[in-house]
Amino acid sequence: MDEFDALRQMRTALAEEEHPHAIELRSDWRTGRKGGGVRRPRSRFVLPLVSLGATAAVTAGVIAAVSEEPDDARGGTGTLSHEEQGSVLLVAATNALRAPAGAYWHTKSVSGEVYGVGTSAANHYKVDSRQGVDRWTDRKGKGRQTHLDLVDVPVTAQDKQKWQAAGSPTWVQVPLPGVPDQKAFLDMSAKPKGSGTRWMPFDGRYYGLSAAAVAELPTRPQALEKALLALKGDWHAYTSKPKKEPLGDLQGTERARALSDVVGTLLSDAPAPPAVRAAAFRVLATLPGIRPEGGATDPLGRRGTVVSLPLETTVTLGLYTAPQQLGTYRRQFIIDPAAGKLLAIRDLVVTPPHGSRRLPPGDNGKPRILRADQMPDRFHRPGEPVSYQVFEVAEWTNERPPS
Amino acid sequence: MALVSPVDASDDAGIVMASLEDPEAFGELFRRHSPRLHAYIKRRLGPTLADDLVAETFATAFKQRERFDGRTEFGAWLWGIASKLIARHHRQESRMYRAFARTGVDPAEDGLADRAGDRVSAAALGPRLARALASLGSQDRNALLLLAWGEMSYAEIATTLGLPLGTVKAKIHRARAKLRKHLPEEKTDG
Repeated sequence: MDEFDALRQMRTALAEEEHPHAIELRSDWRTGRKGGGVRRPRSRFVLPLVSLGATAAVTAGVIAAVSEEPDDARGGTGTLSHEEQGSVLLVAATNALRAPAGAYWHTKSVSGEVYGVGTSAANHYKVDSRQGVDRWTDRKGKGRQTHLDLVDVPVTAQDKQKWQAAGSPTWVQVPLPGVPDQKAFLDMSAKPKGSGTRWMPFDGRYYGLSAAAVAELPTRPQALEKALLALKGDWHAYTSKPKKEPLGDLQGTERARALSDVVGTLLSDAPAPPAVRAAAFRVLATLPGIRPEGGATDPLGRRGTVVSLPLETTVTLGLYTAPQQLGTYRRQFIIDPAAGKLLAIRDLVVTPPHGSRRLPPGDNGKPRILRADQMPDRFHRPGEPVSYQVFEVAEWTNERPPS
Repeated sequence: MALVSPVDASDDAGIVMASLEDPEAFGELFRRHSPRLHAYIKRRLGPTLADDLVAETFATAFKQRERFDGRTEFGAWLWGIASKLIARHHRQESRMYRAFARTGVDPAEDGLADRAGDRVSAAALGPRLARALASLGSQDRNALLLLAWGEMSYAEIATTLGLPLGTVKAKIHRARAKLRKHLPEEKTDG
């Protein structure tokens, strides 16, 4: 090999091209600065990326903020081959098996939804509306949980500036989809109003499965998928005739979406044994439409590897009789393959909402219409998150739950 | 991602013209040119600085777009701006090469170690090459790496760096000779 060939083989992993949008989110040509108002520390050894808006959350004991980095420079978009994608989930599955056992399943998670506040794309800021839960479950399925009192925060430093420029309102107005002239309010008061931690008994079910049933789920991927397809529920994003049916009755993208919800829960909140988690990673790998997306930083600033699948809508399944959104989306699973863990699930805008859509009459018999200007994500750009769940802790432990 | 913008028939120079009236039009040039430029800067300075420099390059190009006269390719003009900005980080770049040479771990590739398998053959020679790269002057390094990593022709490099073609050839010749000295003797095939 001559010196020129050797040179061309040096740092090839850095030479991968990323999608221009991913670059633009971090590098704004309009200002010559990194985009999103997020300054990453120069040295990667220092601090994980956390939006300034997260300061309030730190005091609440949980760090959560929506990262403005859908695709990190070290990952890139779609740079893994199918074999490598397989191997990411395979590695995660293998390492999930090695997770320690314990007497309690402990999870600490934050979920957030991002709302645009303001009147125009040029003049708005985004707010992350958050809820957190700390939960301990013993092997019999008995548990306790507490709600983490998190205030809603501006997403980026830039959003924070705009919010401050507006006088740092404690309550901000956001539209409610499908309900014209009605507004919702988000609480942005500086300090959490927590009056101490209140633990409540918890005896949860996971898509109808008790903790015991979760523990008994098959550990071979095909058998696990079969068991999940037999789960009964209302699996539609919207339907005029709600009814319970087996997940397996769904087809195509609806089935993939519902399975992604259930698998996501098995890999996070549910007290699933390591072998079931390992199988869940393998089921995830077989979902139609799932594809690699390189690396990303999760909302807690942790590095992960991403697989994603397209979503027609991000709304919770089984709640609605009519569509709620006008955009299209994709769901990212941010995974730490080495630890065999799911770090976060994040839903991003692919096509921002536009136009309008007529809906069938509601309860009051009046015709309804869904308009883009009523959407929480009306000012989102492609690649920006609309919602996320981040799993700060999800582990079996012998630590005692706090009394 | 369904983010691919429709292919615009107008050429780069036409877009620069259009952006004088409609600044947002410049975004199309970002979409066209940022992936390759960003990848190149990442390779030279690592991911973090690459984000900064891509932003700075395009912001500079945007501010100076009235001065772009269309006599050179827009790409060469843009990469010329980027090359000047990269040269400002000459010492930082050298430090990374030296650290790589000393420790065998490339600081620019920090975080990519899990994919080391891709780079097996390069790994052995990497630290030696890095030592040689660290010793190059900023213009020589620009010329050599525009060829090796930027995949440009000599003529494109000359336009980009604003140098005569002969000078570029001489610089690259000199730089390659330095690299060769740092590599183990080539074994003759038996």
